[in-house]
Amino acid sequence: MIKLRDVNKTYPGAVPLHVLKGINLDVERGELVSIMGASGSGKSTLLNILGILDNYDSGEYWLDGTLIKNLSENKAAEYRNRMIGFVFQSFNLINYKNALENVALPLFYQGVSRRKRNQLAMEQLERMGLADRAHHLPGELSGGQKQRVAIARALITRPSIILADEPTGALDSRTSKDVMEVFKQLNRNEGMTIVIVTHDPGVGEQTDRIIRISDGVIA
Amino acid sequence: MFDLVNEILQTLQHNKLRTALTGFAVAWGIFMLIVLLGMGNGVTNSFREEVTSPGSQKISIWGGRTSKPYHGYREGRNIDLKNADIKRLEEDNPEFISEVNSSIYGVQVKMTAGTHSRTASYTGVFPSQITNAGNIDKVHGRSINDKDMATRAKVVVLPQKYADEFFPPDGLKAVGKRLNIGGLSFLVVGVYESSWGRDIYVPYTTAQMLTGNKDNPGSLQVMLQNLSTVEEGNDAETKIRHALSEAHDFDPEDDSALWVWNQFSQGLQGLKAMDILNISIWILGLLTLLSGVVGISNIMFVSVKERTHEIGIRRAIGAKPRSILIQIIAESVAITTLFGYIGIVFGTAVTQFLDYIFRDANFIKNPTVNLSLALQVTVVLIVAGALAGLFPALKSLKVKPVEALRDE
Repeated sequence: MIKLRDVNKTYPGAVPLHVLKGINLDVERGELVSIMGASGSGKSTLLNILGILDNYDSGEYWLDGTLIKNLSENKAAEYRNRMIGFVFQSFNLINYKNALENVALPLFYQGVSRRKRNQLAMEQLERMGLADRAHHLPGELSGGQKQRVAIARALITRPSIILADEPTGALDSRTSKDVMEVFKQLNRNEGMTIVIVTHDPGVGEQTDRIIRISDGVIA
Repeated sequence: MFDLVNEILQTLQHNKLRTALTGFAVAWGIFMLIVLLGMGNGVTNSFREEVTSPGSQKISIWGGRTSKPYHGYREGRNIDLKNADIKRLEEDNPEFISEVNSSIYGVQVKMTAGTHSRTASYTGVFPSQITNAGNIDKVHGRSINDKDMATRAKVVVLPQKYADEFFPPDGLKAVGKRLNIGGLSFLVVGVYESSWGRDIYVPYTTAQMLTGNKDNPGSLQVMLQNLSTVEEGNDAETKIRHALSEAHDFDPEDDSALWVWNQFSQGLQGLKAMDILNISIWILGLLTLLSGVVGISNIMFVSVKERTHEIGIRRAIGAKPRSILIQIIAESVAITTLFGYIGIVFGTAVTQFLDYIFRDANFIKNPTVNLSLALQVTVVLIVAGALAGLFPALKSLKVKPVEALRDE
């Protein structure tokens, strides 16, 4: 599903920063993996490249059989929309849109009709057990509920992978457990490929495989 | 399309204060432009009407004193206009002179009708002067005619106010009755209605006879026709000078021999001044509008900056740059259009209101702006709004989604 070959990334500057130093990485379809590393290890950069939010300097990145390299901004946006579902630490919901609208938003950019969009969004919210919160604004939801709304939004386009950036970072231990349970079920029951970036060993332990990155290389 | 509109409505509602401030700047710009242009139009319309009305297309002449010797005469000779000059000018230049007339004003005498008596002044006029008088609404009975002029008839046309006074209770019934003016019995042939006119009209020739000044019209008014430019007006003035110089033996180049007031050319020059006034008003209006546009740009700029994070989210979940661009531009176009429309409605309402207030005033006439102009201005504003949105939108797209997401 994910194949990285000798991926390098340097941030230019007065002192160029070589962040990723030849990353080789394979994630199979249906795997639940975590990427762990200390801060400054390059794991955020790696996540951004996996999420097509940032580009890399050399090497190759294959996602679901497609080479992701030197994409135009339009192409990148299209791939992000169709192939990747993001879950962020800070949820990143739009605060003046209700849960349903937030979940439906990715389909808006696919040109899906409003009725269809809302129907699919409602299905996702039901799966997350949040049907009764559909018309609440993010501000009226608890942290765990917000994260489940974000997961519903990530799932709505039926992406190839879910990329989660510290998904439990802003949650207490109980809600963290719930959210991890959601990921595990998605993985187990639907074969969803999930990559979780975290520095929390407790989260890492719950995944099939831990990929450790330190100082720009995979250990 | 509906989705886009919905999306815009949502963001505008989310930012009510920003929307209101931007909208106010736009609506105010349009409003001011329309009211300013409307008032400018009002003054111009009124002036144009005044200048182009038949009563204002004239050259007035008074006799002067020569300053140059001519044909054996010494300088310093008084030039007196004669009745014969009237005919002479009319017959010499029928192509541009419709009529030459004169008037005798303000002769105070005692007037009596029955037991009612008062001192008042009469005015000796040509028939056309009553016809062209802008302040006369309606004449009951008849006006003064050419036959009255030829026979020096003792007839009088009264304003309703005096008619009421001399022939109470109903002045309109005074027609056919007799009024004693300075010891002579006059037939009241007409009574006129006017909001402010108070002149008691008698035939010019009759007034000459009454004042004992039978052949010396103090001034002549040359009524012009078929002229349209300042140059033609000045040519007409020169021809009149030459004609009178032949009759009275003075140098046609001698400016002091005749006092000439060319109201026709002066009026046209005044219209040019009006053009300058209108241009200034346009400049003022456009500057006001410009400040509105600057306001929109500013607020759009701030709003886009405020929404960097939101734009980052939208891009992470797959919004193409074009979608973001369209949304931001559509937002600013929506604001400018909506509030521009409000500005037009209020501006037009105010100009209509002013039109109503000044309906009787003669210094302002129809102070309104035609709608196509208002619409053009709004189109300009919408384009400006689109541009105002474009630059911040482009700037927002330069920020990578990663950085935008990081920006909390």
